[in-house]
Amino acid sequence: MGRRRHLADAAGALPEAIAALSRSLPAGPSPEIFRRAKFDRPEAAPALWRLLFRVLSLLRADRASASRAPEAQARWVKAALRAQGYPRLGLARLPEDGSQGSRELLLALAWLLAREPLPERLLAQTRVRLGDEMPVCECGALASPGQPAPRVDTAGPVDVRRLQWLMGKLRFRWRNLMASQQEQCALLGKIHAYTRGCHGDRSLGHLSVAETELLRDPEGGRQLLQRLESENARLEAALEWRRRELVFWQWMDTVLGACPPEASQPTFPPRLRGRGRRAGAWGPVAWELQALQEELQAAVGARRAAWAARVGGQGPEWSAARQAAQEAVGRELAALRQAWARGGGRAQPHRPHRLVRTEAGGPGGPGLRAAEVIGVLRSREACLEEMLCQLQEQCRQQLARLAGALPGLIWIPPPRR
Amino acid sequence: MLPLGCSRRLVAELQDALDTCAERQRQLEQSLRVSRRLLRAWEPAETPTPEPTPGPETNEEAPSPACTPSPQDLKELELLTQALQKAVHVRKGISKAGERDNASSLKSGSIATSATTAAAPHRASQTKLPRGTRQATRPAKGLPKPRLLSAGDQTCAGRGPLAAKPGPGLRDPQKAPSAAPQAPEAFTLKEKGLWAQLSSTQTSDSMDATTSSKTQFLQKMQVTSGWPSSRLSAAEVEAEVGRLQKACSLLRLRMEEELTRDPTDWMQEYRGLLTLEGLQAIVGQCLHRLRELQAEESGKEVPGCHPRRPHSTVLTEVVEQQLGPWPEERPPMASLPCGGGADPTWSPQLLLYSSTQELQTLAALRLRVDMLDQQIHLEKVLMAELLPLVSMQEPLGAPQLALCRAVHSLLCEGGQRFLTILRDEPAD
Repeated sequence: MGRRRHLADAAGALPEAIAALSRSLPAGPSPEIFRRAKFDRPEAAPALWRLLFRVLSLLRADRASASRAPEAQARWVKAALRAQGYPRLGLARLPEDGSQGSRELLLALAWLLAREPLPERLLAQTRVRLGDEMPVCECGALASPGQPAPRVDTAGPVDVRRLQWLMGKLRFRWRNLMASQQEQCALLGKIHAYTRGCHGDRSLGHLSVAETELLRDPEGGRQLLQRLESENARLEAALEWRRRELVFWQWMDTVLGACPPEASQPTFPPRLRGRGRRAGAWGPVAWELQALQEELQAAVGARRAAWAARVGGQGPEWSAARQAAQEAVGRELAALRQAWARGGGRAQPHRPHRLVRTEAGGPGGPGLRAAEVIGVLRSREACLEEMLCQLQEQCRQQLARLAGALPGLIWIPPPRR
Repeated sequence: MLPLGCSRRLVAELQDALDTCAERQRQLEQSLRVSRRLLRAWEPAETPTPEPTPGPETNEEAPSPACTPSPQDLKELELLTQALQKAVHVRKGISKAGERDNASSLKSGSIATSATTAAAPHRASQTKLPRGTRQATRPAKGLPKPRLLSAGDQTCAGRGPLAAKPGPGLRDPQKAPSAAPQAPEAFTLKEKGLWAQLSSTQTSDSMDATTSSKTQFLQKMQVTSGWPSSRLSAAEVEAEVGRLQKACSLLRLRMEEELTRDPTDWMQEYRGLLTLEGLQAIVGQCLHRLRELQAEESGKEVPGCHPRRPHSTVLTEVVEQQLGPWPEERPPMASLPCGGGADPTWSPQLLLYSSTQELQTLAALRLRVDMLDQQIHLEKVLMAELLPLVSMQEPLGAPQLALCRAVHSLLCEGGQRFLTILRDEPAD
């Protein structure tokens, strides 16, 4: 009897856990879908495709993929999972029309869930923010780290003048951005100043744009309330999921067990491997590292020679000093390595901060001061300008070398600013 | 004309940069529209109220005369706020000890224990809110002065919709107390409480059984899959290349620093030498790692780790058909959104500024840094593609010279200035 009750409890716990998971995710399907997916029922597939698409596109902050046909979505999901290292081939073999494969999709979802706290991360991304926020971290908002998406509309080869035109257009857009940004700051400053004294929270003191609008516009207020309520519901669901998820993982073990093991791929003959991979993809980094290496080689060579000429007749205190120097330099370089090591850059505040206007002389409470951030940004700006100048100088030298090789021409550089 | 592949890549890069700027501009304009609309109600200020307004504003702007509440009203509102807070506190009981209030006014401190009880009343009293806000939006000449009640340090106050203009607004506080005790329920949002709970569950170690079952599951997945597990995923490779890129910049900076330093004694000279040698070793290691990654990725059997820019040849297609059905399309590695960073459940932190000037400087610098980042990226890409073109060819023909001139302008002057090339005719 006790065992029956225990089983009944367990039987009830699983649907509840899945329901909680579903509520905490956007576009979460019903627990029934999950159950069907375990048995690989075809009708469960479309909902799971949609869910995976939604989750992955949120994770990657990919706006462009919002409006795609289901087949295109399925393809995108496959590619995105593969890029993250999803191990199973079964997913790749699924048809993209959503007609089957729900068990495989369920496994993919579980894989994503096991790797990181997915509901929390999605919630943090879509968090309702009430303040006027400004990012403080070093992530460049404009420079995209990866390769740009290939465009289908570039017809054929272009003339260099088109490139010049595009650069000009880009410069114009930069100027526009700067002007708009200045205007926005002026307006924000005014709103913050005008609403001073209106906020219940003394540490803030004034309203943000969102809050002002909230008060002005009852409709907006209702909508905001709704958004906050739904966020709350999802937060509660996420908490419940965390409490109950163990039974889900036990269940997923059975799901995985129900799958036939995949045949491992025969390894392809090595002949086709060197596919003439364009150096373009690796180009910039390899090129820079090589250039750096050459420069270092030259510098080290010169210094070594100079040092060898000096070293001579050093006393016994020399070796002790040398040891000390080696250790010191070793420590410095180790610290330098930390700067780019995995997770090395976390010291910086990584989240957007809420802007708060305060009196200049006030002691102020917790929070970053704008003056500090400005200082950091100025040094970073100087650093980047330096880097850009160096790059341009490198180009100039290289082109000058070329010019030297072409006799009979006079090259008149433009006047320096 | 530039070669086909080169053209495509460069146009793609530039177009990408343009699109990013356009997106940013769009977002800015959206915010601008909202801000302008909000400010329209305040400026031009119509009937300035007759009361003296000893506002704390500085003289940098011309504040509208009605934009600060008079001291008396402030005091009354203060008292009212305290009364409301006390009422809600008594009503709700003590919330979780040590719960610090934070940024947003709309958060309440009510938490775990009263989570479910608060849910019911707040739904019922939702209707009270619009009335309150309508009061706030009544002829809003001058500033609406609603007092947003925030959670005190430990109370569970919600929000009181109080609109009080100096003068006629005084009857509102009397009406408001009746609405207020319910209205706070409307805003018993528990937002901060829930986020805090979520973060504590994440960091707690009591999840051993769950964590181990998750790891087991992942391992089983790996084992039963048909894929050899020793490879790095594309995302990881990209991340590592990014790190190597960063390493390169930092190493270069250090080298520059060292080279410009003038050693004053032999010890410094020795240290400089050691540093440079150490840097050289590190660069060598980075290059080695890069080559490893390169070899691994091109040695991968699958189209799954296809090239960064799909470059389809017949050979590629044959290989794909034979090896596996992974789709050709590869989602571009969008930069990870910055908002949900390391610890998503921190409450928002503050950035304090003291004048519009300062804010503008801050924003301008941020934008400038982003633009420089973009410019440097483009510069590197252009260098990688265009320099080989100019150096490769020998002829002195006009098209080649025109290309040289254009490349010089793009690479060395940011496309803004041009050099002049003259043919040196011997004087007859």
